[in-house]
Amino acid sequence: MKNIEFLRNVSIGMYVEGDSPVHRLSPAAKYLWLLALILPASFSGSAPVVGILAAACLGFALLARIRPRTLLRGFLPVLPLVGLAAFLQVVFTWPQDRSAVLLAAGPVSLTVREVLAVLAMALRFATLMLALGLFTSVITEGDTARGVEDLFAPLERFGFPARGLGLTVAVAFRFIPIVAGELEAIVKAQAARGADLGSRKGGPIRKARAYLPLLVPVTIRALERAEALAEAMEARGWSSGPRTRYAVSGGGRWDVPVKLGALAFAAAALWAGAVFR
Amino acid sequence: MIEIRSLSHTYSGASSPALVDVDLRIEDGEYLAVAGANGSGKSTLIRCLNGLVVPPAGAVAVDGLDPSRPEERRSIRRILALVFQNPPDQIVASVVEEDTAFGLENLGVPRAEMVERVRAALEEMGLARESASPTRFLSAGQQQRLAVAGALVLGPKHLAFDEATSMIDPAGRSEILDRMDALAASGATVIHVTHDMDEAARARRVVVLSEGRVAFDGTPEELFRRGNLAALGLAPPRSWSLARALGLPPVVGERPGDLGRRAARALRDGMRPEPLDPEPAIPPGPDRPAGADPERESPPLVSGSEVSAFRADRAGLSYLSGTPQERRALTDIDLGIPRGGRVALVGATGSGKSSLLQLLSALAFPQKGRVLSFGIDTSDPKTDLRALRMRTPLSVQRPESALFEYYAGDEVSFGPRNQGLSGSALVARVRSALEAVGLPFDEFRDRPVRSLSGGQKRRLALASVLAMEPEALLLDEPGSALDPVSRERLMGLVYSYGRKGGTVVFATHSMEEAARADLVVVLAEGRLRAAETPAYIFGAGWDPSWGLARPFGARAAEGAREAGLVLPEGIVDEAGLIRALADLGRGAPSRASAGLPASRTAGEAGA
Repeated sequence: MKNIEFLRNVSIGMYVEGDSPVHRLSPAAKYLWLLALILPASFSGSAPVVGILAAACLGFALLARIRPRTLLRGFLPVLPLVGLAAFLQVVFTWPQDRSAVLLAAGPVSLTVREVLAVLAMALRFATLMLALGLFTSVITEGDTARGVEDLFAPLERFGFPARGLGLTVAVAFRFIPIVAGELEAIVKAQAARGADLGSRKGGPIRKARAYLPLLVPVTIRALERAEALAEAMEARGWSSGPRTRYAVSGGGRWDVPVKLGALAFAAAALWAGAVFR
Repeated sequence: MIEIRSLSHTYSGASSPALVDVDLRIEDGEYLAVAGANGSGKSTLIRCLNGLVVPPAGAVAVDGLDPSRPEERRSIRRILALVFQNPPDQIVASVVEEDTAFGLENLGVPRAEMVERVRAALEEMGLARESASPTRFLSAGQQQRLAVAGALVLGPKHLAFDEATSMIDPAGRSEILDRMDALAASGATVIHVTHDMDEAARARRVVVLSEGRVAFDGTPEELFRRGNLAALGLAPPRSWSLARALGLPPVVGERPGDLGRRAARALRDGMRPEPLDPEPAIPPGPDRPAGADPERESPPLVSGSEVSAFRADRAGLSYLSGTPQERRALTDIDLGIPRGGRVALVGATGSGKSSLLQLLSALAFPQKGRVLSFGIDTSDPKTDLRALRMRTPLSVQRPESALFEYYAGDEVSFGPRNQGLSGSALVARVRSALEAVGLPFDEFRDRPVRSLSGGQKRRLALASVLAMEPEALLLDEPGSALDPVSRERLMGLVYSYGRKGGTVVFATHSMEEAARADLVVVLAEGRLRAAETPAYIFGAGWDPSWGLARPFGARAAEGAREAGLVLPEGIVDEAGLIRALADLGRGAPSRASAGLPASRTAGEAGA
């Protein structure tokens, strides 16, 4: 029997405590490397380039002493989607596909090109999952927010509210478990009075309809909690002028080269992805 | 110094004002309690001080600064700090020390100085060891101490606590209260918003608000002497009521043990208490018995499946099981709850009370062992969960936040309608449920839920489960955060349901409420530590390692025993103590041998 647990589906706080060169990177450097890996992996049409990106992810995982198996666990829920995409690739033939036919069953045939396309897609998915999984494993909740602030800090001189953006991210993170908890309490309160929630019966539409009456109380509660937090922040002098910062971002003397390395890596991967198709 | 001159405030859209013509002058270093029922304007008043609610210009001055002006408001927030009610709602950062530093960051304090001040504040609040811990792993009590640290770190001259103790367990609560006393002693202005008169009695001055007006301003003693606190939604401290009931001069802030010793001495000197309570600590609800009613036959505390309402066999529950964040909530719970029993679940925050209630109500399922609800295995795939849950509905903590209908009547009809009722049968159900909780059907069925007061909403939530005519009620902290009058009224309803033969299981932090149950279940760290009658739990079976405090009456009786009186075992409340003292007083001839010590010195030594 499944318990009603919305927090189970919240995959934040996946941080794996550790002290590795990857863990010690500054939050902004972690963000830059994440982007340097996922942007080319998303846009590159070249399987070898995606392969290199995947290898880079594995290299980082090795360096961070995190087992790739743990990272790929996050991959499982999206596997059906990948399967569906692969199925579509095979069923619909590519225009001008003149590669050798490997298997044929009636109108459906499997060609070499289709096999390669399916493999490339799976590789791309795996790379993205690895990169994201690795990122969430080596960055703490606080650093997730600080990284955003640091990344945008150079724009502050033009009036960009980097600090506010960072805090917004931090508060958003704080709110995920709060809203999940409120939702859970309200679901339980209504299920106790016979609402069709968390019972075994009913199709998806009936289940979705049962969740409708939750929207109002959950929204109201979320707003109430937000207001309480805003009051507490204001009472402690939020938005009263120039701020200083308690936490240091770290990164050490290698921080700047590592960041530049991320930019160079991203540029090279994007270029290679565009050239070697 | 804080000066308030004819301050009025009406929230936009509200039909009545939150504050009306409040005049108040708070000197530096005062220890002031602001009391009043739910909705009396206490929180609004506090928010006007630092401009969270913007007062009219000139109405408020904090050290000469006017919170209606944005510039001065900022300065006020440096000298006046606020601690709020709900601990997690005050945490901004994910790490303890970073959260404490938040206020200093906002003030632009240099980092080196911040590190020093954060360290000192965390040390002062006993959180030095947790300084690098994630904030979400703190207990509610620790989270509230963190909130106080976040206020203290600013080095404020004035500190206001807005019901800061109402959502934490007794142990966490007394830590915060002791801290307030210490702050007041160190010269800070301490303003404590509360509706608990035992807490207010610690202050040197009490201001009572009623419907937005100052209804009283004076010392705690003057307030309690004045009497008729119920009209203000308040109740006198337990020690005060008990002393009055015993005919002793009441003393503000007297500890139960001291009062018990005083009673023992007075009895020896000829005091003859009457076995009634002339002014109960809390005004009686619709049909509240005077204290525990010993005449009421206790249900047999057996746990055969035919007679039990609920039964847990080695039940274990974990949250997020199978993930790295797995947390054990309950371990090896073996428990039988008899039909018709009134059962109190007690234990510190995080001890598993809510989890156990969810297991019993089939809203959660044990990963180990099993739970039977009226003989039905909740984990059995053939069980009709909807029907089962409606037989034994759970009212969650702060159930008013889960109300979702616009009109009160619709809210109450949701459950019975799910049971298949309609037409006149449905109306009859809704009517009787609303009337049972003191919300007359004709007056309230078309009232928007939003327009009800906090206490009324809580009663509406109770009506919404009563309307299903359940076989058992499961209630998670039904009285929490209510003012004393609303709370007693609600608990009166809960007990009256129990007296009509229904089974009631409720979680509570109030040992006085638990003392009125038939069975007290003690949980600690997810394990069942005891399930016995209150007389045994708070008497012979008491174990300090549970981390709880005994009810006031039991502690007073203990004081009387220490002073040499021989009292019967199992006194758990004030009424029981008064009865026992009256019996001793009546049995005057035998008292030297049975009840009272032969020599006076034994009693004095105990005192």
